[in-house]
Amino acid sequence: MTPDTPLLEVDNLSIAYGEDTVLHGVTLSLARDEVLGIVGETGAGKSVLARAMLDLLPGGGRVVSGSIRVAGQDLADMSEAARRKLRGGTVALIGTDAKSLLDPVRTVGVQVADVMRAHRKLGAADARDAAIDLFRKVGIVDPEKRADAYPHQLSGGMAQRIVIAMALITGPRVILADDATLGLDATIQVQVLDLLVARCREFGMGAMIITHDLGIVARYCDRVEIMREGRIVEKAATPDFLRAPGTPYGVELLGAARARPAPMARPATTVEARRPLVEVVGLVKHFKTSSGHVIRAVDDVSFRVSPGETLALVGESGSGKTTVGQCIVRLLASDSGAVLFKNQNVLGIPDRAFRTLRRDIQMVFQEPYVALNPRWTVERLVAEPLGLDPDMVSPGARRARVREMLDLVRLPARVATSFPHELTAGEQKRVGMARALATRPAFVVFDEPTTALDIRVRAQIIDLVRDLQREMQLATLFITHDLNSVRSLAHNVAVMRNGKIVETGETERIFAAPSHDYTRMLLGAELPIERFTA
Amino acid sequence: MKTITDFFAFVLRRPAALFGLVLLFIQAAAIVLAPLLATHSPVDANPLASLQPPSAEHWLGTDVSGMDIYSRIIFATRINLLISVVAVTVAFIVGVPIGLLVGYYRSWASTLVMRILDFIQSFPVFVLGMALVSVMGQEIWNVAIVLAVLFIPIFARLIRAEALSLRDRPFIAAARCSGATDRVIMFRHILPNALSPAIVQISISIGMAILLTAGLSFIGAGVRMPTPEWGLMVSGGSQQMILGVWWVALFPGLAIVFSVLSFAVMADAVRDYIDPRGDRLR
Repeated sequence: MTPDTPLLEVDNLSIAYGEDTVLHGVTLSLARDEVLGIVGETGAGKSVLARAMLDLLPGGGRVVSGSIRVAGQDLADMSEAARRKLRGGTVALIGTDAKSLLDPVRTVGVQVADVMRAHRKLGAADARDAAIDLFRKVGIVDPEKRADAYPHQLSGGMAQRIVIAMALITGPRVILADDATLGLDATIQVQVLDLLVARCREFGMGAMIITHDLGIVARYCDRVEIMREGRIVEKAATPDFLRAPGTPYGVELLGAARARPAPMARPATTVEARRPLVEVVGLVKHFKTSSGHVIRAVDDVSFRVSPGETLALVGESGSGKTTVGQCIVRLLASDSGAVLFKNQNVLGIPDRAFRTLRRDIQMVFQEPYVALNPRWTVERLVAEPLGLDPDMVSPGARRARVREMLDLVRLPARVATSFPHELTAGEQKRVGMARALATRPAFVVFDEPTTALDIRVRAQIIDLVRDLQREMQLATLFITHDLNSVRSLAHNVAVMRNGKIVETGETERIFAAPSHDYTRMLLGAELPIERFTA
Repeated sequence: MKTITDFFAFVLRRPAALFGLVLLFIQAAAIVLAPLLATHSPVDANPLASLQPPSAEHWLGTDVSGMDIYSRIIFATRINLLISVVAVTVAFIVGVPIGLLVGYYRSWASTLVMRILDFIQSFPVFVLGMALVSVMGQEIWNVAIVLAVLFIPIFARLIRAEALSLRDRPFIAAARCSGATDRVIMFRHILPNALSPAIVQISISIGMAILLTAGLSFIGAGVRMPTPEWGLMVSGGSQQMILGVWWVALFPGLAIVFSVLSFAVMADAVRDYIDPRGDRLR
């Protein structure tokens, strides 16, 4: 192989499941020292492509035509033994959810040492030292101690580093990162990707980063290829793509990834309307672990939300922001503090009395699918909260309201008879919203409304929430770690860290001139494409 | 919605399930048509025709009192399935709500209930059976009650385990935000999602009940002669087995085997049918 031979060459590759072709004539190549971004929405065939390169097609997929050459060698010509060597050795795959890839009952040091000993002759003690050395290289602080940890004792970012460490052991030529940072906090995501790309450059490896986040592409990838429905629809150098996508689909994706032009109508400014609708005062919630350790999930949090105003509560996982939301709607009992709704403390009243208030205080849940009873139809799900409304007793009135709500969240009336699993993630999210808005509440808590959605669906949901804010004059607490959506939706921002609010202010002010170090760090980890396209 | 016709269509595509279904139909026919199918009275003793081998007159031979084994096997289907179905139905009706309450509410009372269930389950089945039957008398209803008591913990535990994991799922929190009361959450949200394993368990338990009824009769704690019952018949024939008189015990034994098998196979089919994950794999 000459230095110019591409590490990876895919030529006119088609893959089918039964009669169903999922990849249509995909052609791409990856050179040494190159980072290629593969972007596409759910179902575009990105993961199938990655698995095909390892000859690990899941569930009966077969190559219909085309070829895959790794370092100049055709996969189809290789013996089974050679392919096995290829998988662990030449090409390494890093997937989503690193914790599930690690054996839960063995320490990570032992697991990494085992992989080393499988490839090199090493004594147990030497392998451990080598593992610790590798941990240091992938940026794990205090590697001697971490080596003795079990996977569940590690954070998601740490587990992902361990998996990257494992992947690097055999000195692979090609790294396939399939949504490797999905579900990690932005600051961790940047660290993990920085590390991965730095190692690639250092060892002259080729990396293929599969993602649906154009921000990642903009920051890390030399070239980008856009996939849609099993085809590559656009190939371009990253800067060119960001400047001017060559296809309508590319334009659409890029547009969807941008923040919406910020401010919506400010809430009314009359004295009456400026009186806070919801006021949280000194809210405290501590959890006790089984070992007696106290976690201060929410530690003296105070804020207020006026009618028609959206307050974004941002922070990383574990900052306590979701706990705040759950305390307000009383899914969790708070330890102390008050939540004043129209000047009445809703934390002090009995459950029965609070039930009548639920009509006005609603919540949209994070994961769209698991927050819907899988055995209920959409009609029944959306109608459920109407039991709180004494005027909504007749089936006709309820049916009419359900139709109205589906219309409000831009869902066709026919989904009323569907079950949640028959809907897409975006549609499920809309059902969740229709449900929360069915009683025409005055205050809604949105818990991570935009996470885990495809780029275009996410943009649609953001637009929908903006419309709802305008049409219903909702007061909203918007819990998220997605800063892009904060720019598009929130009037004010409260930044939370370790159970405390470290900074609050108007959205534009926070983004333009953050005053707290942590806020600056959060903003620094964001990968807005504006930074690269402007 | 899935219907009974869908289920039959589903069964027809699976040979094992089809086999189980055919066996079930044979048993149903035996129950309904017993007087027509039987060649003799199941309870008339004829000492002159004692221990006759299978013949044209007595298809499966006669037992020690000269009763026709074929006719007794046919009539015993009624007794055995009646006991089993009643026992399992009672256990289901009592066990499911117990499991639901215990799984949903966590308090000292739930712990107490669980310990009582542990106590029932830790008792050797036959010792408990003998004790209860000797107190209450050797009636078929008592056998059914004994079995029901034994099976209640099984259903309660299954539902409890499901309820425990369902209780903390986000859709339950979402329902609470929508104003659902505890009762609505338990019966409308948790129960329908928790029921699948218990429904599968029905078939398994009926098979177990048939076996236990036979076992209790075999050790003398079940129904009494001359009531036709498979276990009792095996028990009666077991003494003659070493004398080369094999037919007295063998044929009712086979009846037990096929009956239990039919319910076990159906349990598998029902599980595959109601498990939505199975749907996706196909």
